[in-house]
Amino acid sequence: MSDNLVLEAKSVSKFFGTITALQNVDLHLNKGEVLGVVGDNGAGKSTLMKVLSGLYKPSEGSLFFDKEKVSLNSPRDSQNLGLEMVYQDLALAGNLPIGDNIFLGREPTRKVGPFNFLDHKKRKQLTEEHLAKLKINVKSADQKVEELSGGQRQAVAIARATAFNAKIVLMDEPTAALAVKEVGKVLDLILNLKKLGVSVIVISHRMDDIFTVCDRVMALFQGTNFAESELKNTSRDEVIGWIMGKKD
Amino acid sequence: MTEQTLEKTKKRIKISNLHEIGLLIALIIVLLLFSLTTENFFTQRNFTSILRSASYVGLIAFPMTFVLITREIDISVGPSVAWSGLLFVILIKWYDFGYLTSAVIVILWGTLLGYFIGVARTKLFIPTFITTLALWSALRGYSLFVTEGRPIAISNKEFRYFFGGDILGLPTVTWIMLGAFLIFWFASKYTVTGTNFYAVGGNPKAARNIGINVDRVKILALIGTSLFSAIVGILFVARVSSGNANLADGMEFDVIAAVVVGGTALAGAVGTMTGTLLGCVFIAMISNGLIHWGIDPDLNRVVKGIIIFLAVVINSNFTFKSNSGGPKED
Repeated sequence: MSDNLVLEAKSVSKFFGTITALQNVDLHLNKGEVLGVVGDNGAGKSTLMKVLSGLYKPSEGSLFFDKEKVSLNSPRDSQNLGLEMVYQDLALAGNLPIGDNIFLGREPTRKVGPFNFLDHKKRKQLTEEHLAKLKINVKSADQKVEELSGGQRQAVAIARATAFNAKIVLMDEPTAALAVKEVGKVLDLILNLKKLGVSVIVISHRMDDIFTVCDRVMALFQGTNFAESELKNTSRDEVIGWIMGKKD
Repeated sequence: MTEQTLEKTKKRIKISNLHEIGLLIALIIVLLLFSLTTENFFTQRNFTSILRSASYVGLIAFPMTFVLITREIDISVGPSVAWSGLLFVILIKWYDFGYLTSAVIVILWGTLLGYFIGVARTKLFIPTFITTLALWSALRGYSLFVTEGRPIAISNKEFRYFFGGDILGLPTVTWIMLGAFLIFWFASKYTVTGTNFYAVGGNPKAARNIGINVDRVKILALIGTSLFSAIVGILFVARVSSGNANLADGMEFDVIAAVVVGGTALAGAVGTMTGTLLGCVFIAMISNGLIHWGIDPDLNRVVKGIIIFLAVVINSNFTFKSNSGGPKED
């Protein structure tokens, strides 16, 4: 396989009691690659993402980050390895400004004697730089998140995921809750991450999303690998067929 | 200044400071009203008296602001103040402890009580309303039982003059309150812990995902109100030279009223220390002014009830406006 491999899952299975959510699933992701994961409800997409982010421990199989075998005990572990997850419900605090949200839990501080104080100036500066790097347009870094549109909130969630030099970003249905005109902005943002060398896994139901941003698409069906292809070698109809469990 | 930045500035003032500016204006109107209609309201002596009662309330209202911001509540503060004061006096009178030792024990008690409320909330999933309602009844009841309803007097002039008296023209308790205000104000704006209160109140699930220890943040907030109730208990004893089971009757109401009038949302996430400070002065001034008007103290409570209701009406309307679409569950 290619030298650019940043993430790999080998024959991962996940059982919940007698229910098999995933069975011998393989996944690999290259540097700067955007991988689309499709599948019907219950196909195991979200379970697979939760295994990759460390929220679930796989029942069988192993994970490799940068070709090194790892064992994840919590999302903190995967974060430390450079993997960030953008949750479907975004997980933002609406009462706080954009900058506060991006740095929540990882605030830049200034040490004065034995005390650690928030460094508002530095946070604002870092926020503005980071938003500019991702070409995210908001009126001000001090705007509260609850004043933003759905697309802007999604952008803030992505900005938070990438603020600490993430190498891999997982996105669960990033455009599902958005107005049509905002979908394009979020997709642009994903392409922007790719340009910056970040690898992205996108779960989506929308063929438009998959065919706009992805390099490769893989389909899960009833918890197993069903089909996979470079994007240029497949078509929308074929991928939709995979979701429904049909292969020519 | 360009058109756009002007717009932005206006908007920022509107959202973050409008409540405080409005409250300040209301405060001035109330001040003028009472000053013009009564003889003895606008005197230094009376202002000292207003400040003094605002200060006792304020000392608990600042930590209460954090408690409400994290979506919890502590209604046990009145009985908690009474019991803490009693415990202080009992330790001195019945067990011959020194003043300092007794104070340390009482403060330790307050810390443990808050820790208990917090653990009940976060590990046993008992709503703080229920735990503190139980404590509200239990602490007052036990205080009455232990003292048989009679005050226990202590006589120590230095203690009374210092903590119950004035320094440089202001009540000692006001200086302590101002110190506490600065600490809480600073904590809310410039510390990670302060930000965490807002984050937990804004979206507990997000806070947890990010790795904030939500349980610890809530426990810390709840320790705040109990700890400061203990401190105010001691300060009350200094003022009245006795421990009394009926002390601080209805104080939980004044404290919560002050915080809510100050713009903190009962639904959490929104609130400032400056607002709470203004709220304390506002509530104290109204109580005082009504007495000057010769209104029956019992009716005073009716008026305060109406005020807190109106404050919530105004407050929640603000929250709705700044909140694209009303309060959210999570």
